[in-house]
Amino acid sequence: MSGGLPRRIIKETQRLIAEPVPGIKAEPHEENARYFRVSIVGPRETPYCGGKFKLELFLPEEYPMAAPKVRFMTKIYHPNVDKLGRICLDILKDKWSPALQIRTVLLSIQALLSAPNPDDPLANDVAEQWKVDENKAIETAKEWTRTVCQRQIVHTSLSGLYKSLCARYQ
Amino acid sequence: MSTADLESQDSVDPESSEYDDDDDDNIDDYYYNGDEDEGMASDKEEDPELFEFVIIDSNEAQEIFDLLVVKICQEIKVSESVARILLIQHDWNTEKILERHRVDPVGLLIEGRIIPDKPVAQTTSRSLYCPVCFQRCTKSNTTSASCGHAFCDDCWMLYCVTQLKIGLSSGIECMNCNLLIGEEMALKILKSGAAREKYRQFLFNDEVKCHPLIRWCPGNDCGFLVKVVIPKAKRILCSNCNSIFCFMCGEKYHTPTDCYTIKKWLTKCEDDSETANYITANTKDCPNCGSCIEKNGGCNHMQCIKCKHDFCWMCCGDWKSHGSEYYECSRYKSNPNIVNESAGIQAREALKKYLFYFERWQNHADSLKREEETKRKINQKIQEKVNNNIGTWIDWQYLLDAAQLLAKCRYTMMYTYPYAYFMEDGRKRLFEYQQAQLELEIENLSWKLERDELYCRGDFENQMDIAEKRRQTLLKDFLVL
Repeated sequence: MSGGLPRRIIKETQRLIAEPVPGIKAEPHEENARYFRVSIVGPRETPYCGGKFKLELFLPEEYPMAAPKVRFMTKIYHPNVDKLGRICLDILKDKWSPALQIRTVLLSIQALLSAPNPDDPLANDVAEQWKVDENKAIETAKEWTRTVCQRQIVHTSLSGLYKSLCARYQ
Repeated sequence: MSTADLESQDSVDPESSEYDDDDDDNIDDYYYNGDEDEGMASDKEEDPELFEFVIIDSNEAQEIFDLLVVKICQEIKVSESVARILLIQHDWNTEKILERHRVDPVGLLIEGRIIPDKPVAQTTSRSLYCPVCFQRCTKSNTTSASCGHAFCDDCWMLYCVTQLKIGLSSGIECMNCNLLIGEEMALKILKSGAAREKYRQFLFNDEVKCHPLIRWCPGNDCGFLVKVVIPKAKRILCSNCNSIFCFMCGEKYHTPTDCYTIKKWLTKCEDDSETANYITANTKDCPNCGSCIEKNGGCNHMQCIKCKHDFCWMCCGDWKSHGSEYYECSRYKSNPNIVNESAGIQAREALKKYLFYFERWQNHADSLKREEETKRKINQKIQEKVNNNIGTWIDWQYLLDAAQLLAKCRYTMMYTYPYAYFMEDGRKRLFEYQQAQLELEIENLSWKLERDELYCRGDFENQMDIAEKRRQTLLKDFLVL
């Protein structure tokens, strides 16, 4: 591959911005077109509803022959996501196909939020809880979503305050 | 091995005649005992270790595979590429493929991921965008499997190279579904010579891996294969690199222990061997005068240089009790009150039991290594004798034969210990009895071989005959196939 960005990545990025998937936002980093900042809104009727989950996505050199690397940046209580935010999803591993895209990957992650799969766990303790007492697990997931969101609100309002202060003193 | 026996084997299996030369070599290597009397020949017919095999190179193996591929091509009218996929999927069982084809020819191809289960809509437009690189391309520079998922040739090539990197060949799927692309399409896509060669090599590996009668020789960089008639856990001697291994598991030959047990044993040894090594240090004190003695020969019958005391290296007991009477030191005596003891004592007892067997296993392994040295010395001795006009080279061959037989017996002996370790009670007493009998004869032979000037040829031949008979008896009774 030559130094330039492959047409495929350019096209995909354009389309992601022009026709975004409902509930998903993905923007390339200003300095690295292969690095995306992603946020997925917690789907309705799930314990993640009301939360906004940040992820990072990176397209390796071999992309699209190799899968993109995706990781949750926001803490989430989910049987297929571990403490470090790594995701257990077959299309990110052996079931990757070059015909899949960033869009399809993000849709799959959104779907994973709606349908946790404790039988193929990454975070064993969470999956165990999910199997033993699903109601309690869902409660915990809701709890985590709430705290994380509050923190995010505080964080955004603080950073807004900071920006306005900076603007005033410049 | 007598010639009479080889002939009888040929008459039983006419197919083996084409490999006659190889067969002769292999069996001779193993069973060469030039001076055996006629009486032994009749016993050999039921030799429990007899196993028919040939060492072949990769071209010969490829020919075997290709013959079957052609057969399937003709019988069910498919391309060679498809036939190869089907054969790999069905472990080269042509009957199974043909049977399935008779019942449901379409089902066979769908299950084999050769055609899609649903009909595909063909794209009609002349130009299209490749769904992978998003470049505009014409129909002529795109390729698709029978599923109709078309991608440009450049993307296909990149994809196949990536798949090769993770070791796939016959398993490479379409980029959009799980249909297999097969050899023909893969080789059409792969342009570089190196990639094509790699693909062919991996494909050949897949072919070998699923063939029940063919396996790679596990020897380092050997590159030859072995082909058998019936797959059994038996002894293979590679005529190219001299590796000796079991056909079923590819580990070192391990009769009378079975593949599963030897794997368990070797894993256990890997875990525990450091402790055991420490405990079974290389020296022992003479039980009579206390001189430190290093074992530098294969024989367990030790004689202290200082006090001339004869003792057994294994049990440190007087060797007198090992001669004519019941030879017992290959048998582990477990403490009969064990069930009543505490867990700690039981654990210690378990370790003791393991160490007991490990020590014996290791001891024979070491002896086997030293036997090489003995063989070298014998060769030297024979050379000297011949130079001093004491007999001819041929007259002294029996010494080398004895050394070879000793190594063979010791090898079997070594592999009786893992068997005994995992053995349930039941037939254990009989096994241990025969094991002890064999061990006794091995030590006798070893002792004589190290002092060959004291014994005549007749002594040796007698001793060799007894040892080999003991070995055969044990194998016949306990070889599970």
